[in-house]
Amino acid sequence: MSQANVVHLGKAASEPVRHGWVGPTLVAVAFVSVLLWATVFVRTPLTELPLYFAQRYFVLDATSMLFLLVVNSVFLGISVYMSSRVSTSRVLAQNMLPRAALSLALMVAMNLGVMANNLLLLWAFIELTTLCAAPLVAQGDALAPRRVAWHYLLYSSMSLALTFLGIMCLTRSAYLQGLQIGFALDEMASGIAMPGDSWQRFGLALMLFGLGSKLGLAPLYSWLPATYEAAPTSTSALLAAVQFNISIVAVFRILQVFRGRDTGFMSYELLIMGCLSLTVAAVQVMAARNYKRLIAYACVSSSGVIAIGLSVGKAAAYGVLLYVVSNAFVKALLFLTAGRLRAVYRTNEVKALNGVIRVLPFSGILFAVGTFALLGFPPFGSFMAEMLILSGIVQSGNLIAFTLMCTMLTIIFVATGRSIFPMIWGQSDRQVPPVTESWVTAVPKLGFVVVLILLGVYTPAPISQLLMQVAQSIGGP
Amino acid sequence: MTVPLVAFLVAAIVPVFFGKIRSAPLWLAAQALALGWIGIAHDAEFSGHTVTALLEVVVVRAAIAPALLRRAIRLRAEPELDLMPSNLFAWAIAIALIVLAFEFGAPAMTDRQALTLGAIGATVAVALLLLSTNNSPPAQLVAVLYMENALALFESLLPEPWPLPLHGVLSAIYLVTIGVGSWLVGAPESTPPTAEAPIAEDRA
Repeated sequence: MSQANVVHLGKAASEPVRHGWVGPTLVAVAFVSVLLWATVFVRTPLTELPLYFAQRYFVLDATSMLFLLVVNSVFLGISVYMSSRVSTSRVLAQNMLPRAALSLALMVAMNLGVMANNLLLLWAFIELTTLCAAPLVAQGDALAPRRVAWHYLLYSSMSLALTFLGIMCLTRSAYLQGLQIGFALDEMASGIAMPGDSWQRFGLALMLFGLGSKLGLAPLYSWLPATYEAAPTSTSALLAAVQFNISIVAVFRILQVFRGRDTGFMSYELLIMGCLSLTVAAVQVMAARNYKRLIAYACVSSSGVIAIGLSVGKAAAYGVLLYVVSNAFVKALLFLTAGRLRAVYRTNEVKALNGVIRVLPFSGILFAVGTFALLGFPPFGSFMAEMLILSGIVQSGNLIAFTLMCTMLTIIFVATGRSIFPMIWGQSDRQVPPVTESWVTAVPKLGFVVVLILLGVYTPAPISQLLMQVAQSIGGP
Repeated sequence: MTVPLVAFLVAAIVPVFFGKIRSAPLWLAAQALALGWIGIAHDAEFSGHTVTALLEVVVVRAAIAPALLRRAIRLRAEPELDLMPSNLFAWAIAIALIVLAFEFGAPAMTDRQALTLGAIGATVAVALLLLSTNNSPPAQLVAVLYMENALALFESLLPEPWPLPLHGVLSAIYLVTIGVGSWLVGAPESTPPTAEAPIAEDRA
């Protein structure tokens, strides 16, 4: 790092921080949320779920409980990171108040959306999280951050419009079949014709396509790498590890409603989108020379694995859930560490960071750990999850999907390793003195690593039971 | 019912072939007014729900949204371009999509439903075509508004209109979408930090 940069770093740190109370308040709110949901989880036996409230518009069931715990835990880590970076980042210090407010608004919409017991309400909360996230993306330091944020909003609006059109097609189907359809998720199944007509199938296809593009599934995935690269890293982490999960919940809710019905074509749609996403991700990871973009393409491949797993049904349901939960922590770990690297090197180029472990030993190790977790190495939860999904695919007898998934994951593994490992351990062509790292910034990442290892090695019985219950609800007969 | 539907269709299709981006707010306001007219025609009793929904359409879709779009277009200050590029290929695709949209709605339905479904299909198809042929952010915002209006039109096909609270939520989301969208589209791009003025430890 040049002397000018080091001098500047000192200057940034010495400048008075505006709204100094915002960071600690954000952390406090996030901590209270985690504490609240952890207490609810500990004190509520799973047999008592689901619990309905607010005139049955919201529900606390196994699915919402699991995702409330995951997203609030990840958000606590992100808020600690943001709070700890205020003292060293001038831009963050200046914008901390709007960023914290938007992040909190996003989290409120997330929490309510995850608990929504009404399909239209859930749709509205997904749209709200997008509207909160778009201004956050616009604060990135890409060449044209507002344009990237606009593309994000455009893709999201169009994909959610398609989802809404799908919901309307379901309504039309029910009307033509002489059934009354309500959108309460627990009662929706009674308004769905059996066997489904073409309106119903068209509606389901549109809903899955729209939500799939929110998940970054091919073919409508191109917003994801551009957005994750251009956004500030804490926002990238928020999008990839928190907001992603509300779309997953929506897909789970649809699967729960249509469980046991004629869902063969849904499986095919998920399978095709999943295989396409894995293929696209494999090709793009081979070409990527930018570590944030590389993580973003890994997110596309993760979405592909989830879609393939969901297409299998019961056999892979537990694996999919473990994969989703692991991925939330892996993505948060990688993006937050990438933020640290970016802050010091001021570039996203892999080549410029050669030998990063000698300059930022702790961040370098964490990035390596995150990469191993991302690639599905033991002892992390993602390893176990991928094995369970692959085993489920074999059990379902879809050997083409099995072969394609193995091939693409191998390509992604080799291509990621080829880019990332020299970045971490390679020889640097310039002398950069080691940089002191704040322990506060590292604490949330260490927490994520511990969770990832626990998910792979020892999952406590209550969490395991929760995962089982959700897996049963989405797995179908 | 048929006349307002035809009015909506005209307001949705004509600007795609002949309209400039700056005239789009006017056409969108016309679409919204036609939507209001459809709502009145749908409910002969003129209930409180109809009046509220009509007010929502007139205030939000016919007044505020076009005004925000006009402001974004003015701030953007781009050259006066066609909404959809005027070339034979784009025109042929657009015509084919509109015909297909009406074919899609034709079978097994009454005339009114087929026409409504055709209008919805045509508006959705035109919105997607606008997105694929025009790279200009204001034109893309117009396409989003087209899509939203198509969704609003779909409501007239449903046996019962959405409850009022749901209307309120959808309107609020629509307004915030337009607000955030026009802010992103309208504001000039900020200059990123240059290599000459390094900012270490600057992004989180």
